[in-house]
Amino acid sequence: MLNKIISGGKLEKKVIENIKIHLKILCSATECFKNAITTGNKESTFCVADLEREADSIRRQIISTIHEGAFLPFIRPNICRFVEMVDEAFDILEDAAFEFRYLNNEIYKLIENECAKIAKINSEICELLSIAFDSLLTKGDLKEKNLAIRIYEKQVDDLKFDITEKLRKIDIKNFWDGKIITDFVYYLTNLSDLIEDASDYLYIIEVSLK
Amino acid sequence: MNTKVKEIMNTKLETIKPEATVYDAIEKLVDKRMRSLIVIPKDEKDVYGVITVRDIVFKVVAQHLDPHKIKVEEIASKPVISIDKETELEHLIKLMEKFNIARVFVHEGKEIVGVVSLLDVMSASLIERARRG
Repeated sequence: MLNKIISGGKLEKKVIENIKIHLKILCSATECFKNAITTGNKESTFCVADLEREADSIRRQIISTIHEGAFLPFIRPNICRFVEMVDEAFDILEDAAFEFRYLNNEIYKLIENECAKIAKINSEICELLSIAFDSLLTKGDLKEKNLAIRIYEKQVDDLKFDITEKLRKIDIKNFWDGKIITDFVYYLTNLSDLIEDASDYLYIIEVSLK
Repeated sequence: MNTKVKEIMNTKLETIKPEATVYDAIEKLVDKRMRSLIVIPKDEKDVYGVITVRDIVFKVVAQHLDPHKIKVEEIASKPVISIDKETELEHLIKLMEKFNIARVFVHEGKEIVGVVSLLDVMSASLIERARRG
């Protein structure tokens, strides 16, 4: 679909290739975070910040190529917004990785299983977003990918409910322990919301091109 | 579908004692937003059972019985139908169809470790379809 609009222009191809790379880096970052959470290795979460920096530079390239004249003007804001949404997902993942390093282990142990499940879903949902972007280009069934992303998001919502239920039962004696665990859960569970929004935006782009 | 039951099962399980009242079970189901509870074996010779919303509606509510006066063991189904966590989804679907059940418990050895519902199966198949690209 998008390929038809770009008509094979050099700048457009560059943007599309860079968006694909941007999404692949997001997949790597969520995968790396998942591994850190499942192994409980706090030090290995630094890979998220490294990948976020790499992604940031790709994002700048995408935006400047678009401003150099890639794509017809009516479609430019839509593509920029999609890229920004993916960038927000990087930011929130980086925040989750940061908080993870400062968690109180005793409190975290109570919700460890749920967090590991969410990290796995986050990794899979990002992979699906990348597949969804490919199907926008190849005229695949984007609606189907969008639905699968919504199913994943619902699963994260249910896990968030379980986490909240467990955390409400414990006494928090230290302000920072409470703040860090709350922030961590917020960042971890909100990534899927952003991916869902980005996926909805892809669908809007597809509809607007019809 | 090569997916195994352990990949999609829900490990959130709630139990109830057989001598508890149906009213206790209703409270637990509402509070935990669940549709079934595992009924713990009475002794070593006993087996796991299950009490579902369906059991409560058809065997207590529809019969105009007092849930405070009925014990869980009186309406629970025993033994619970369960499958090994390594079972493939295709086999699970056949089992659900054969017994006309919406939910199957998952065991690891003698222990019940999860539950899979029809909705979980449908979600897994939709996700797998989408992931194929």
